[in-house]
Amino acid sequence: MNEIFIDVDYNQTYKAGQKISGDVFLQSRDPVSQQIVCTLSDGLGSGVKANVLANLTANMAHKLSFSPMHLTKSAKIIMNTLPVCNERKISYSTFTIADIRPNLDKTVTVQLIEYDNPRVLHFSHSAVIDIVAQEIELHREGAFKHEIIRQSTFSMAQGGRLIMFTDGVTQSGMGRSLPLGWRQAGVVEFITNILQKDPHISSRELAELITRKASTLDGLAAKDDITCAVIYVRKPRKTLIVTGPPFTKERDAQLGERMRNFDGKKIVSGGTTAQIVARLFQTKVKVDLSCWSPQVPPASKMAGIDLVTEGMLTLGKVATALENKTSIYAMPDDAVRRFVMLLLDSDHVSFIVGTKINEAHQDPSIPVEIGIRRTIVGRVRQALEQNYLKETVLEYI
Amino acid sequence: MGQHNIMVKICVGTACFVQGGADLLLYEDFLDPSLLRICTIEGTSCLHCCKTDDQQLRAPFVEINGVVHANVTPKRLIELLREAQHA
Repeated sequence: MNEIFIDVDYNQTYKAGQKISGDVFLQSRDPVSQQIVCTLSDGLGSGVKANVLANLTANMAHKLSFSPMHLTKSAKIIMNTLPVCNERKISYSTFTIADIRPNLDKTVTVQLIEYDNPRVLHFSHSAVIDIVAQEIELHREGAFKHEIIRQSTFSMAQGGRLIMFTDGVTQSGMGRSLPLGWRQAGVVEFITNILQKDPHISSRELAELITRKASTLDGLAAKDDITCAVIYVRKPRKTLIVTGPPFTKERDAQLGERMRNFDGKKIVSGGTTAQIVARLFQTKVKVDLSCWSPQVPPASKMAGIDLVTEGMLTLGKVATALENKTSIYAMPDDAVRRFVMLLLDSDHVSFIVGTKINEAHQDPSIPVEIGIRRTIVGRVRQALEQNYLKETVLEYI
Repeated sequence: MGQHNIMVKICVGTACFVQGGADLLLYEDFLDPSLLRICTIEGTSCLHCCKTDDQQLRAPFVEINGVVHANVTPKRLIELLREAQHA
């Protein structure tokens, strides 16, 4: 696993009264080169029309950024392809593309392309750093305005952040508490304060704090779609998931050793597994009846372990929640929610999967959700890698 | 004379939870407050009673004062606690 991790997440609030966003954020990671491409687009207007424009733009920009085609050519193709707005008689959509490639020296190289979105912010720890950009005018035939693209290339080290947002953030509060809105300077001040108080805040939490503040400035009825994405280069946060008893009793000690030496958060998933770990660590498992829902058995507490849960049912629900990208705010306060929260705040997730079969689970009257442990763990891994760009490793014991 | 502290352990292992154990965890909804007052109820990880071929001994399992009972429904739990109370 890499010694740096690029934590990418975003948060979004729809314009009041809309059921779909006119801002679109896309992210993808090349599993081989670890190149990450993030694209943010704001479509003209709001609702479905804006969403179509933004989606077209973001997807084209995203795909084209992986091609060897020159940037200006790509930008012209995007703008020529966008449909013309029926009301405004123009075709228009903004975009920001960040192409991030890890280097061997624990830094990353960022290539940034900006078109008409508020300027991207670059922070090193809590200090904002100017992005020196080259401006390229497109001179596109049929353009209704000067089309200028900003292009910049720079490197970021551990503790560096890129923060991109749409004008719903910078213009929030306009005409209410702030005559000209929150503005770029206000956003910078807000983020600086947060980073000074909480230097290790995750991308998910920071993006959420920014959109929530913008929404509050709009009186909790957003005047425009509000979207903020954060890219954070940091030391990986590691989590170990231990599920299933080892195949033979002799391997129990090996499991204990691995857990003791692990530098990070620890989750034990499975009743019998928890009993084995408790014996190895000479501690006790205490079921926490305050944390359960009708769908998932209660979590338990054990000294030295961050979360202890039931096994198959909980893992199955965790897999489903990660696959569907279910918001943690939409989940009851049960073991699944706590499990997902720990995973979302982790960058590297290691699984140690015991291969002993649980005879009780072979009963035909047991619901089908109690599947095969390896299959369920595979679903969790796939969802973590594809939906949340986490790195995972798996080991059977 | 009735018993005034009944120790109850509801198994929250997977097999028990999916075969009725979840209903038992709603004990505050169906147990009489007078009965609740004299019970100490907690969850327990697998009691290892489900790993048997005996078709009569089915989940969910509940341990009451050290004795494990099978096929426990909310109605059966009330009966068992009444019996324990008057034991």
